[in-house]
Amino acid sequence: MTEISLRLAVSFAQILAEMSIVMVTVATMTYFERKILGWMQDRMGPMEVGPYGLLQPVADGIKLFFKEDIIPAGANRAMFKLAPVLTMVIAMIGFAVIPFGPDVTMDMFGMTIKPFVVADINIGVLYILAIASIGAYGIILGGWASNSKYSLLGGLRSAAQVISYELNVGLAIVGVLLLAGTLSLVQITEAQAGGFWHWFIWGGRPDGFFPIHTQIFAFVVFVISAVAETNRIPFDLPEAESELVAGFFTEYSGMRFAFYVTAEYANMLLVSCVAASLFLGGWNAPYPGTILEYIGLEQLAWIEHIVWFTGKVYFFLFLFIWLRATLPRLRYDQLMRFGWKVMLPIALANIVITALTLYFFPR
Amino acid sequence: MTLKTWIKTITLYDLLVGMKTTMSHMLHYKPITLQYPHEKRTLPDNYRGMLALLRYEDGTEKCVGCDLCEAACPSRVIRVVSAEVPGEPTKRYSKEYYMDMTRCLFCGLCVDACPVDALGMTREFEWSVYDKRQLHLNKEQLLAIGDRSFPVREKQLELQHPNVAFFNVAFKHLPQKPG
Repeated sequence: MTEISLRLAVSFAQILAEMSIVMVTVATMTYFERKILGWMQDRMGPMEVGPYGLLQPVADGIKLFFKEDIIPAGANRAMFKLAPVLTMVIAMIGFAVIPFGPDVTMDMFGMTIKPFVVADINIGVLYILAIASIGAYGIILGGWASNSKYSLLGGLRSAAQVISYELNVGLAIVGVLLLAGTLSLVQITEAQAGGFWHWFIWGGRPDGFFPIHTQIFAFVVFVISAVAETNRIPFDLPEAESELVAGFFTEYSGMRFAFYVTAEYANMLLVSCVAASLFLGGWNAPYPGTILEYIGLEQLAWIEHIVWFTGKVYFFLFLFIWLRATLPRLRYDQLMRFGWKVMLPIALANIVITALTLYFFPR
Repeated sequence: MTLKTWIKTITLYDLLVGMKTTMSHMLHYKPITLQYPHEKRTLPDNYRGMLALLRYEDGTEKCVGCDLCEAACPSRVIRVVSAEVPGEPTKRYSKEYYMDMTRCLFCGLCVDACPVDALGMTREFEWSVYDKRQLHLNKEQLLAIGDRSFPVREKQLELQHPNVAFFNVAFKHLPQKPG
């Protein structure tokens, strides 16, 4: 009994830590997004709240918290209230399997704890794909329950888009799974240890052969599909401001609106973490081992690992913002054609080629 | 599709060109934003801002109540009630003078029309108010605006004589006062 409660307490502590990291990152992301977008468009971004507008996320949070919570007439109240919670929860629980630090174990209270991953399950990638698909329900339910034509259109577009691009994400990952031979994100990351050319984006063999197993096409497909899956520009048709007011969350206000926005940023963070873990070696440095280990600080090597992981994740987050500053929105038929007639064949061909190269040049 | 366009397509060349542009804008960050309440732009010399009634150096009003500004105004901002100066039958003045600044389009025609330079355009532009009735200004308010915008106004001696009215004082290219 005590052991179970102790395990629960440790798990809750880990979940709380991970959740707070995610929430803080989301808050900083809202700030950096506006700031970087401003810089790229010769503007300044938020400047009023605090020095250089640094307190803008706090001000936004307080404002949204105290705003009136409006439920439109004719809305399905239960669904309307459930949908943002569903979206938010789905966006949050995906982080459970992300290893953001090395696979070390820690003995505490007589049990073994992995401090840098909440749940090291052996089907981590599958779990993330499943969870990400459920996220579409929150969006389409919110769109349907609002009793508004814009919301419904946004929700429908989102459902179609997420389903189409989910497929490409799944197929792009298969190449990596073939190389790693496992579905666990921790083991996939560990398989990429040993320097830059061992990352699965290059897929270099441990003996330093020409990167014949390269997954760069899968990487490109994955990143593009991830942008589409998180409903970001240039694939932001579900919330196309100029056409659908705000898409599926047109009718939402106050904290429910904040839930949707938080979920969007958390999804961005999640796909960035997955992309970093699968293709860019996760917490592995681009050189073998770590510097802190060479200078005799093995105990602190995890700091360097976490720094590398954070750097890679932020590279992807910056890429999202960069794309948003650069590209206009696609038309709906362009979106579908691109997903089914360009991305899908590339992903399928990548699977075949990776399988063949693995068969003839096994790792 | 030629080889060149094919290579451009698979390397996402056009996308990269666009992203290079945005990145260069970020690296050579030169915002065109003006942090308005904290910093204000320099106004051009001929800026036409808030209208004001002016006084002579000795404190008397310039306005002679001729109604030309009212006639010149395209949007009927101005209403003048003209009257004789008490005790001086040859002189007139504006007994009441109203401007409805909600309608003003700052064309400056009233200032051009004024024969005695009694109207001026100041450089004030921050006249946002919560109640639009506050923009219906009377003579005292307009004189106060003139006083704070033109504290020193050169006295034009030729306009002091009680029986003389000269036109086109402010426009050098038009016929001037003799002698």
